[in-house]
Amino acid sequence: MKLEGTHQLEAPRERVYQSLVNPEVLQRCIPGCEKLERTGENTFAATIRAGVGSIKGVFNGTARLEDLREPEHLRIVVDGKGPPGFLKGSGDLDLEQAEAGTKVNYSGDVQVGGTIASVGQRMIQGTAKMMATQFFTCLGAEAKTEVGEPPPKHGFFRTALRWFSGWLKRFFRTH
Amino acid sequence: MIPAQFDYQAPATLEEAVSLLSSDLDGAKILAGGHSLIPAMKLRLAQPQLLVDIARIKSLAYIREEGDKILIGATTTHYQLESSDLLKQICPLLPECAKSIGDVQVRNKGTIGGSIAHSDPAGDWPAAVLALGAELVLVGPNGERTERAEDFFVDLLTTSLLPGEILREIRIQKPTGKFGQAYHKVPHPASGFAVVGVAVHLVLNDDGSCQSAAIGVTGVGAKAFRAQAVESALAGTNLDDNAIASAVTHVCDGIDPNTDLYASSDYRCHLAQVHARRAIQAAKANAK
Repeated sequence: MKLEGTHQLEAPRERVYQSLVNPEVLQRCIPGCEKLERTGENTFAATIRAGVGSIKGVFNGTARLEDLREPEHLRIVVDGKGPPGFLKGSGDLDLEQAEAGTKVNYSGDVQVGGTIASVGQRMIQGTAKMMATQFFTCLGAEAKTEVGEPPPKHGFFRTALRWFSGWLKRFFRTH
Repeated sequence: MIPAQFDYQAPATLEEAVSLLSSDLDGAKILAGGHSLIPAMKLRLAQPQLLVDIARIKSLAYIREEGDKILIGATTTHYQLESSDLLKQICPLLPECAKSIGDVQVRNKGTIGGSIAHSDPAGDWPAAVLALGAELVLVGPNGERTERAEDFFVDLLTTSLLPGEILREIRIQKPTGKFGQAYHKVPHPASGFAVVGVAVHLVLNDDGSCQSAAIGVTGVGAKAFRAQAVESALAGTNLDDNAIASAVTHVCDGIDPNTDLYASSDYRCHLAQVHARRAIQAAKANAK
């Protein structure tokens, strides 16, 4: 399954890039991430409780960062599995300097298998899009803080509010 | 195919159900007809700790007129809606939509409230309640509130129900004047879920031109939505074939259509246009 999207973040490109390679930030921003540990220079082990609504599953897996070209490009290779199924894939992230911050373009290819793929196939893409939006909304808020400043709070409502205000801004820009 | 262990409670009143649900906000889940939740539990994709069964609260299943409103209790089954003589007369979109859901077994057990609260991206009821501009009555630990259907559906399987809240009632303004309604869908051959589903409520002027149109679309986006661009393109026209054909080209405006193994996003959007056109034509033909 192909995944593609663009997110506009209101933070300088260098900060966005550093947030993307910072395991503490990633743990706070990946929806449902319970554990994220560095296991090597650019490899991580993670436990993620992913899902939407009442459908949830725990995945254990690894992520590897490749092709790091600060501050414009990186590639993430993931491999995970859990009781609901497995997923495996890779994606490229391109950071572009934009008028009001940074534009992040991502595109990747993910294979999902197991129970979740056989019965939930019609919802996998929607779930992925929703999680990507949550992730980038959180990342934008993180990257906006100054170095050394305490991290922003990410309750469900704060994330929803940020997402909504971003949406409003885009709405008025394009209409 | 065997669910993980869970507790089960069948409260006698809605108040009791609310307090049971609030006792374990993370682990408790409302069970109504169980036609989405139980399959997910059997596959262990959902593992609630406690099921609060509201299908046994008899006072929650009803269809009645009150003033200029139609009131529908949350645990009213699809079959009860499909077979309601009152609804066939005053709001035929609801029985027509109910008829298209799943199969007989699903319609006998599944409930309108369950379908709406689950907000399945391919569920049929969300499209119908959106087209009818329904209000949803939600009850929680802090009392009752009403939410417009348009604000209720937030995203994939996500609604504006707060933790501890239960959908209690669906309120629909009784249609008046000259109006026509229709629901058209392309059912998935295996599951019966809507690959696309279009619910239309047209209000016509005396000369047969379109005063206003309300169109709910399901199956196409991450959640059901109102096709506002189509609605405004139809308003004021005489609803001839050209006007309808040009209006429906806007059905996917602002939407990132779903894609899965059965239907790609382009194909799905094409289907949505075709079936929006047919549903609008049918609603026009049904108008009286």
